[in-house]
Amino acid sequence: MKQELIKGNIAIAQSAFDAGCDSYFGYPITPQTEIGEYLSRIMPKNNRAYVCCESEIASINMCIGAAASGGHPMTSSASCAIALMQEGLSYACAQELPIVIASVMRAGPGLGNIYPSQADYNQAVKGGGNGDYHIIVLAPSNVQECINFTHKAFYLAQKYRNPVFILADGLLGQMMEPASFIEHPYEKIDNSSWVLTGAKGRSSKFIRSLSEKEAQHNEHVYKLFEKYKKIEENEVMYDENFTDDADLIVVSFGSLSRNVKAAVKEARRQGLKVGSFTPKTLYPFPTQRLRELSRRTKKFIVAEMNMGQMINDVIVATRCEDVRHIGRPAGNWLDIDEIIGEIKTTLGDVYAASI
Amino acid sequence: MQQVFKIPDSLKKNTEYTFCPGCGHGVAVRLLCQAIDDFNLRENAICMVGVGCTAFLYHFLDIDALECPHGRATAEGTGVKRINPDKFVFTYQGDGDYAAIGMTESMYAGIRGENLTTICVNNTNYGMTGGQMGPTTLIGQVTTTTPYGRDEKLNGYPVKIAEQVAQYKGTAFSARVSLDSVPNIIKAQAAIKKACEVQIKKLGYGFVEILSPCPTNWKMTPEQANEHIRENMMKEYPLGVFKDVTGEMK
Amino acid sequence: MPTMTQTSEKSLIIAGFGGQGVLLCGKIIANIFMLNGKKVTWYPCYGSEMRGGAVNCEIVVSDEEVTSVHKQQTDILLTLNDISYNRFLPQVKDGGRIIANTSLIKDIKEERNIEYIKADITDKASDLGNIKVTNMVALGLLSTLFDNVDFSHVEEIIKDMLPKNKADLVELNLKAFKAGKELRTERN
Repeated sequence: MKQELIKGNIAIAQSAFDAGCDSYFGYPITPQTEIGEYLSRIMPKNNRAYVCCESEIASINMCIGAAASGGHPMTSSASCAIALMQEGLSYACAQELPIVIASVMRAGPGLGNIYPSQADYNQAVKGGGNGDYHIIVLAPSNVQECINFTHKAFYLAQKYRNPVFILADGLLGQMMEPASFIEHPYEKIDNSSWVLTGAKGRSSKFIRSLSEKEAQHNEHVYKLFEKYKKIEENEVMYDENFTDDADLIVVSFGSLSRNVKAAVKEARRQGLKVGSFTPKTLYPFPTQRLRELSRRTKKFIVAEMNMGQMINDVIVATRCEDVRHIGRPAGNWLDIDEIIGEIKTTLGDVYAASI
Repeated sequence: MQQVFKIPDSLKKNTEYTFCPGCGHGVAVRLLCQAIDDFNLRENAICMVGVGCTAFLYHFLDIDALECPHGRATAEGTGVKRINPDKFVFTYQGDGDYAAIGMTESMYAGIRGENLTTICVNNTNYGMTGGQMGPTTLIGQVTTTTPYGRDEKLNGYPVKIAEQVAQYKGTAFSARVSLDSVPNIIKAQAAIKKACEVQIKKLGYGFVEILSPCPTNWKMTPEQANEHIRENMMKEYPLGVFKDVTGEMK
Repeated sequence: MPTMTQTSEKSLIIAGFGGQGVLLCGKIIANIFMLNGKKVTWYPCYGSEMRGGAVNCEIVVSDEEVTSVHKQQTDILLTLNDISYNRFLPQVKDGGRIIANTSLIKDIKEERNIEYIKADITDKASDLGNIKVTNMVALGLLSTLFDNVDFSHVEEIIKDMLPKNKADLVELNLKAFKAGKELRTERN
């Protein structure tokens, strides 16, 4: 495959187009605006829908309309504007609608800063909408994964009738590196049984989230959770290195995992028994695999560009007492030496205890 | 023998209509369904259902329907229409849904000139939640959240929706009609048909505001409610066609 | 002090103000690294950071996948105006190198243990008849810092990047690139 120098945001935009995105609804916000700008150049002239929306509330609701009537919609945004979509996301989960959302994280809370951050882990994985629901969250760590995961997002959205996040960060959105665009590698999903097309030759149907009776409501939520169980069984993705004999595993996601992998490799070179673990799906979280690893490894560091969000999922998965966090809210990514420093401090305790 | 009156095909036959006695929604829905039948749109139509007393609409219409979050019906309708430009897409909303919580989305349907049709039922209160002040509540009107009457110093002024929608260049048709009397119901039917027609002809956004009685929350009999529309509501909300790009309705 | 990490990664910052072609210059050299089989990242300043007129980008080149696209310290700094010179100078590693555009940077005190490469880049572009090729003069000069990198792709990259209606500018850009290379030769 021909390698090109591709920007993360452009990788997502072009791959959405290649994956069959037929409608884009968005509103500008740094650091992801190029996704909308890029698609505005190619969508209308290829007879696909593109709307400059009046707000992110409108964006997500237009996505709902498009998805309910058979479309493959996408929106993209960031942080404080993803916050505006939470109502719609809860509805989309309840109504089981396939929508792809690219979330390119910047600093928060509030307007925060345009600098890259990973502080919207909870926003994507735990959600800010009401009720019991899950959104599938894919976390790329390089531009090639931005491409591959965007294709996968469109597939999973249709396969499970569920919203899917591509959770990138400002750094990944803005950087360029060599990568290759791919042809959409997934089969087409038949949605004819549920989409609204007009009641031609059949009785009418509706898509809703409201239930009038308690039993009916519970039945609906149980059904959603049957689906989530399937997602958790089948769609977990992660990457691990040097975990076999590790006394300590450093867990990280997204673009920061590159630094973590390099730090772990360097620590190994210096003779330290350290491994790295990178969830590629944040929901479904690789709980099972981390639990297996925690049978041998008792110390974990969670490195993330926030004040400690994914760490809670790592604690639940590993049930270990010594799970430490290293991170800061935004800006300069933790560098390799900082991570190695934390590794040495943590391992120092391990080795001291074993003497 | 020729049948001159029947239940529209677009309405479900064996369903329970749950509107209050004397409520205008039943009439409004019937007029809408008649228009959809007249244009033979049932099998090609997708309805955006608002929140409030309109929320159970999908139980009454024999038409594909999408339940929308409060205020977002025109945004969702935009999503449907943009990828299905040949479907007939309409929203059915109350005044609170349309002109308070959803004001931005509503305005932009007209501003963008979306080929959508909106039926907005104005009964000057939030009916489903038990009669609170809404955007169209009249000055002096008592509601559960304006127990001493709407005071403009505290609550501002009623919104004139149909006039506002007529301002947008993308609006093809905007009118205000009333359900208080048979002659007005006949005029309402014509306006609703026109608001559908402009969508079919891809002329832009079609909008009808319907003054509608809410005897339950107004604490009136149905007759008093219709009288109230004539005596009080029409002074604030004059009936009329505020925009018609076809030039056929006055 | 922690043990410094051993890595093949080299960081390059290109900085100046809007209109000097900073970002494009960075993209071209990143492309050249890619075509030389290297792993590379290009990372710009973005958003409101750029509104003041200051523009910069950082290129990291490596034999393996680049770890962090933004380094606390940089190996090479190419700086085209005085503001960016003053801002980024402290980030240059000891033993690193700096290219300073002396057409616009007047106050250079060679106080640090780094190699100072000084050239009137903007003046050279003016001499060629178009100040807009400042970035290509700079790129030519920059290319002399990389012994084992083949810069012969520069022509096809420029052709790719220039809009179709500006094809006549290829020649001038190549001339500027060559002139930039010669700036180094002239000095040494």
